[in-house]
Amino acid sequence: MSTNGLIGRSVKRVEDKRFTTGHGNYTDDIILPQQTYAVFVRSQYAHARIVRVDTSVARAMPGVIAIFTGADLANVNGVPCGWQVNFKNGDTMKEPKHPLLVADKARHVGDAIAIVIAESKDQATDAAEAVEVELEELPCVVDAYKAVQPGAALVHDDVPNNKSFDWALGNPLEEVKEAMDKATHVTTLEFVNQRLVPNAIEPRSYNSSYDPVSEKYTLYTSSQNPHLIRLLMCAFVLGIPEHKVRVVSPDVGGGFGSKIFHYTEEALLTWCSKQLNRPVKWTSERSESFLLDAHGRDHVTKAEMGFDEEGKIVALRVKTYANLGAYLSTFSSCIPTYLHGTLLQGLYTTPKINVDVTAVFTNTTPVDAYRGAGRPEATYLLERLIDLAALEMDVDPADLRFRNFIPPFDGVQQPGYQTQVALQYDSGNYEGVLKKGLEMVNYPEVRRAQQEAAHNGKLVGIGFSTYIEACGIAPSAVVGSLGCRAGLFEVGQVRVQPTGKVSVYTGSHSHGQGHETTFAQIVADKLGINLTDVEVVHGDSDSVAFGMGTYGSRSLAVGGSAIMKSIEKIIEKGKKIAAHKLEASADDIEFASGKFTVKGTDRSIGFGEIALTAYVPHVYPKDLEPGLDFSSFYDPANFTYPFGCHIAVVEVDKETGKVSLKRFVAVDDVGNVINPMIVEGQIHGGVVQGIGQALFEGAEYDENGQLTNGSYMDYCMPRADDLPMFETASQVTPCPHNPLGVKGAGEAGTIGSAPAIVNAVIDALWSGGHKVKDIRMPLTSERVWRAMNELIS
Amino acid sequence: MQLAGKHVLHAAPPKVWATLMNKDTLARVVPGISHLEETGDHTYKSTLDIKLGPVNGSFTGNLQLDDLQEPSSFTLKGQQNSKIGNANAAIKINLLPVGTNDTEIAFEGDVKLSGMLASLGQRVMGGVSNTLSKQFFANLEKELNNTTA
Repeated sequence: MSTNGLIGRSVKRVEDKRFTTGHGNYTDDIILPQQTYAVFVRSQYAHARIVRVDTSVARAMPGVIAIFTGADLANVNGVPCGWQVNFKNGDTMKEPKHPLLVADKARHVGDAIAIVIAESKDQATDAAEAVEVELEELPCVVDAYKAVQPGAALVHDDVPNNKSFDWALGNPLEEVKEAMDKATHVTTLEFVNQRLVPNAIEPRSYNSSYDPVSEKYTLYTSSQNPHLIRLLMCAFVLGIPEHKVRVVSPDVGGGFGSKIFHYTEEALLTWCSKQLNRPVKWTSERSESFLLDAHGRDHVTKAEMGFDEEGKIVALRVKTYANLGAYLSTFSSCIPTYLHGTLLQGLYTTPKINVDVTAVFTNTTPVDAYRGAGRPEATYLLERLIDLAALEMDVDPADLRFRNFIPPFDGVQQPGYQTQVALQYDSGNYEGVLKKGLEMVNYPEVRRAQQEAAHNGKLVGIGFSTYIEACGIAPSAVVGSLGCRAGLFEVGQVRVQPTGKVSVYTGSHSHGQGHETTFAQIVADKLGINLTDVEVVHGDSDSVAFGMGTYGSRSLAVGGSAIMKSIEKIIEKGKKIAAHKLEASADDIEFASGKFTVKGTDRSIGFGEIALTAYVPHVYPKDLEPGLDFSSFYDPANFTYPFGCHIAVVEVDKETGKVSLKRFVAVDDVGNVINPMIVEGQIHGGVVQGIGQALFEGAEYDENGQLTNGSYMDYCMPRADDLPMFETASQVTPCPHNPLGVKGAGEAGTIGSAPAIVNAVIDALWSGGHKVKDIRMPLTSERVWRAMNELIS
Repeated sequence: MQLAGKHVLHAAPPKVWATLMNKDTLARVVPGISHLEETGDHTYKSTLDIKLGPVNGSFTGNLQLDDLQEPSSFTLKGQQNSKIGNANAAIKINLLPVGTNDTEIAFEGDVKLSGMLASLGQRVMGGVSNTLSKQFFANLEKELNNTTA
């Protein structure tokens, strides 16, 4: 019950005081007594045999404490993959060792060959330059499709055809083919969803120490999920006892997925700290960050969508080659499969769907979750197809969607919607967001302006994207049955202090999302206390019982729900204490506005007095434990399914191909909203990342496996002056299966936006008679210009 | 990375040829050479110190003048290694007589870059190679003038 109106209010973020005044505390800010510094010697080749590593000169240099190479770590495990996917024939995926330092051969540019540890970073850098490495360059593979062709170089000698696994989902292929054969129109699209660099503003940083007296390790890490790192590092890599390891993620400057994963450097520094009995720190350079932070996307896809004479989708068939890079990163295997294939129902009633994915090793940086993770790829696929089909069939793209939308359902009166690709959507009103979007953009007026522009020789286009995502990751039993090697619950502890002030310990981690504000709003609202009386603690395995961290838009839906469970237990116990003091039955006590009241009377006790009584239990129920402190594990019943409608209006310069984004309308339904300002901020940030993919960004490898745009001189990030003022609105369809009715908003913007932009450009080109099916993202002026002109000639 | 360029020198091809085939003059015209040691016929071990914007490093490796067609063409091959990346080049050099006493020197070839050199991309490395080739032509011009005098 909402009591003081904090839920739903745009409260200013409490964390911003420290972030905007230079008082954030990041891993690299932490300098421990006896600190040492590490620098890596890395492979300059994408694929090379290590012939010789000579550290003798470097070892003798000033300040050098130790140098370790792959040979020193022969008996140490590699970092694990957290999700097992099986081949179609049932065989386990190929999961070659991902070593902390490579000993035999380097498999991508940046693969670590040696670690140099010195008294200062400069000394370590100088010594690393003196390590002599002789490499024999080997032929390499870069492109996922080419990597599985016969005769391609092998990234791992024991992985035939570079295939980690192949995988399929949905209806039997024969049924899909049969339905496709009956279609009156089939739209086919072959396209690339290009590789992206995550570009968190804070580079990855780790500082690990070991205390030989207590035999305890402490790892400070720029991670989105410190407990998960502890579990993976202790149980799978180093075999060290978990209760002797403390992992702390202090302030973290953005992750976007790239800081979910257990990186080799984390485990290696921890291992080194024990060898040396001294703390070891490493902070990534920006150029290392380009080469080593797990990249996103990189799919090569062919998709066909079949329609009947009424424009109803009758079948969808998808074949994707997913580039996993040189090794399996922590969640890399589930991104192109269970977070991509399962979303191919989209918002539509498509009766027959088959998706087939081949996951491939190449001599490139490992690929894993990047904001949206699989769902942007699925949305791009569906939304490009449906807009292109509308152009090909000469029907209105909005109308084509209305013909195919799953009808509204709330998940309570009407059941959830069972898709052809394993998921059951929780609740949705898909036509609602498109209707609202059309109103906001003033659709008839945009079409009229487009015709006028075409008449005047200008190219104006409008593009749609109506997306859905699976968030609130995830019900443990479901993901376990699909191969996940972890549970995906969350932990929330609410500790009421004797004075009635509240400390909240959450396993969710905040690295830009504003948990310290949103979670405090929930607790203060539900307990009827002031926001300033609540403190949210996260990111330290010694103070928070456990946690699975922050990714997959899960913090509020899963972490917030765990906190809600503990709040309920606090109120329940408070009622018993109040009943005893008021000499009433606990069943007759109601809690509202921070007061426990005997129903129908004016006899009440404030929350603060109950808290004090719980810790000074002089007048207290006999059978009740003292204290007011509850911890809860919440395992969601289902994923949550946010959805929305994004509309882009662009103008394309006929002479240069330059795309100008004129308007961007976003209607997002993320369920109930706790802090509208924070949600809008998340949508804005997400939309910009999607626009980045559509128009500016893309990791470019040459045929030798060298990343050719590994700096901000050549990797183009979106800037404020590239963007119009966004027009955003929200629709609320509550989630029926969690106590807050929330769905999650972290990834929505990125998932919806990119296809809207590309669709708008294609629409603009068609309005000028250029019947272009696809332009490879990012849509640079050159690519758009070429697409226009090749068709003319 | 593709490289190409040309320049007209005020000397006849045989003289240009002789300058490039001589170890001591070669050491003076190739930009950044701090050490050049002959290990075989027109084959050298070299150290180059190059400081151009972000490219700041000491390169060690081999230089070889191959496919010698006196006095009209040869191929410059080189494998140079450094901490900021390796460069592997094969550049065809043509000497074309112009008029009675001039030579057009033209080069064309491919440089394979790795590591940070590669990640800096064409935008930076193109500029670096332009500057280096300008220095090379200027040094060569100076060397030819000196021998005339």
